Amino acid sequence: MESKAGEIISQEERDILQELMNIAFGNATADLAQVIDIYVQLSVPDIQVVAINKLPDYLKDAINSDSKSSIVEQKFWGSFQGSGLLVFPSGSGMDLLALLHEKESEEEPSNKVPMDLIEKGGLLEISNILIGACIGKFSELLGTFVTYSPPQVFHGNSDECESFINGFNPSQTAIVMKTVFDFQDKNVSGFLLILTGYESLDWLRKALHDFLGSYE
Amino acid sequence: MISKILIVDDSPVARKMLINSIPKDKGYEIFEATNGQEGVAKYQELNPDLVFMDLTMPVLDGYKATAKIIELDKNAIIIVTTADIQPKSISNVMELGAFTLLKKPAKADSIVDAIEKVELKLANK
Amino acid sequence: MIFTQIFDMLDAGIVILDKELHVFKWNRWMATHSNIPPEKIIGESLFTFYPDLNVPWFLRNCKSVFTFGNFAFLSYKLHKYCFPFKSHNSLGYNFTHMQQNCTVGPLRNDDSNIDYIYINVQDVTEVASYEKKLIEMNTRDGLTDIYNRRFFDTRLEEEFVRHKRYDRPMSMIMLDIDFFKDTNDTHGHQAGDFILVSLTKLLSGRLRKTDIFCRYGGEEFCCILPETTIDSARSLANDLLHSVSSNTFVFNDTPIKITISLGVSVLSESTDSAETLLKETDDALYQAKKEGRNKVIVAGDT
Repeated sequence: MESKAGEIISQEERDILQELMNIAFGNATADLAQVIDIYVQLSVPDIQVVAINKLPDYLKDAINSDSKSSIVEQKFWGSFQGSGLLVFPSGSGMDLLALLHEKESEEEPSNKVPMDLIEKGGLLEISNILIGACIGKFSELLGTFVTYSPPQVFHGNSDECESFINGFNPSQTAIVMKTVFDFQDKNVSGFLLILTGYESLDWLRKALHDFLGSYE
Repeated sequence: MISKILIVDDSPVARKMLINSIPKDKGYEIFEATNGQEGVAKYQELNPDLVFMDLTMPVLDGYKATAKIIELDKNAIIIVTTADIQPKSISNVMELGAFTLLKKPAKADSIVDAIEKVELKLANK
Repeated sequence: MIFTQIFDMLDAGIVILDKELHVFKWNRWMATHSNIPPEKIIGESLFTFYPDLNVPWFLRNCKSVFTFGNFAFLSYKLHKYCFPFKSHNSLGYNFTHMQQNCTVGPLRNDDSNIDYIYINVQDVTEVASYEKKLIEMNTRDGLTDIYNRRFFDTRLEEEFVRHKRYDRPMSMIMLDIDFFKDTNDTHGHQAGDFILVSLTKLLSGRLRKTDIFCRYGGEEFCCILPETTIDSARSLANDLLHSVSSNTFVFNDTPIKITISLGVSVLSESTDSAETLLKETDDALYQAKKEGRNKVIVAGDT
């Protein structure tokens, strides 16, 4: 894997990417706390170049094959495109709802949205905002913007998970950026993966150099 | 007058970006350290006039390194650079005795401004 | 020229809001469905006309879009609708209001700053209606219209986990019709079907709104009683027993009387799984049959 990294992105490009991710995530957490009132810590991201055919194994390890873990996936599009994946340990749904300060619905039991749907809604909303914050800030630094598909949730080890993992083109390479997030107040943590594929690489390399260039 | 500047940051790119923004016509000697521990050691060795300190670093983070340096030299001038500028972080850092805080990515003019403020402070001593 | 036309021709709602969440633009679709002409609402706060949107989840999503430029997806599944419009779709009778999928997204100016956001409103009443029907067909028994076995299995697991987690009492009743085969043989299968339908109506009427009543097998029924102690369950089971034995079903002018046997059990600390609870209830029902039918047996009673 290491020798391949030299081909896909150079060490210098990797360093720029690392610093950019640090800045993007730092800015994102600051805004999340102040603007949305969600306090989350994001760790310094770990960046790896993974051959797509190795991606299923990487993801399975990362997700820990915990069939109860919840995974939210959201695709983003633009010059820089790929997927954001948030992996939450099982049972996080209820804790996250507390984060959103959602009150019990006062509606009739028959009219009420079932609890599992509300939990799911909470997961999707937080994920949408978290992924949007990180990718949004990152794109902003690189002078571009992306559009998003609606997020989807599935459980580790489910059919949807399998089909997501197998949906990547095996001849390609992905840059995987992993960060651990921690909603300290609510004792929920998990991790965020940003995968970007082969199509974005040329653009990304140029954008990284342009970014550094603007500081010269 | 500033003659020596020490930059402490684990990211080579961040150091490069900072160096490129520091005015080149003032004859500043610039030194680098890649983590907090190295930063403290270099401070003792070089006794720079100004330190740029990143917060998130391995081995010894920016908070601890700042505290240590100020312990060694209460007149140390430390400018903290960080991407996460929540009010809580800002007050934590200022309480430690940092001179000021710069948000990453720091544009060249804010760096130049900060350096000018330091020059002013040293001149008034 | 073309773009301005699309704005009003589109079969979807477009609302543009500024940073203070005042309405900047309101397209024809919105005007038609809300009965609020653009002149009336432009410049006003959205909440002047739609105060129900002035809630945390909506505000949070809008703020997020302004800050990060992401898209917020507000699904009918969770929110039902954002704007309370009447449905003009023929399947709309299933709902009080038009079901909507809304997307909130950023609008950038020349400096790439986000000064406005848009809300796109889609009428998904038809989809919601089909989904509802599909779920019903999947979870209801065709003949009696109470829940079917498939639904029961899912709910049992959910209720079990929830009651175990919060240490709440949960009971179960399993019942079946005594000598049902004989009833069918004597009065015919149509009578048998009639009995099944009437019985479930009768029993449903005596159960509570929160109880989960389902057809488990041909003439076998099961009922999950959330938040119910063994004593309440016993009492309910006896009530069901008597309501059936004292009832005369009339099919095509022929009076038919039936009895049922019931097994009852409750979740205890030692119940390790939903299957265990099911088995205990089933064993109790079996005991009731053995002891002569038309009877209630409660698991654990000596």
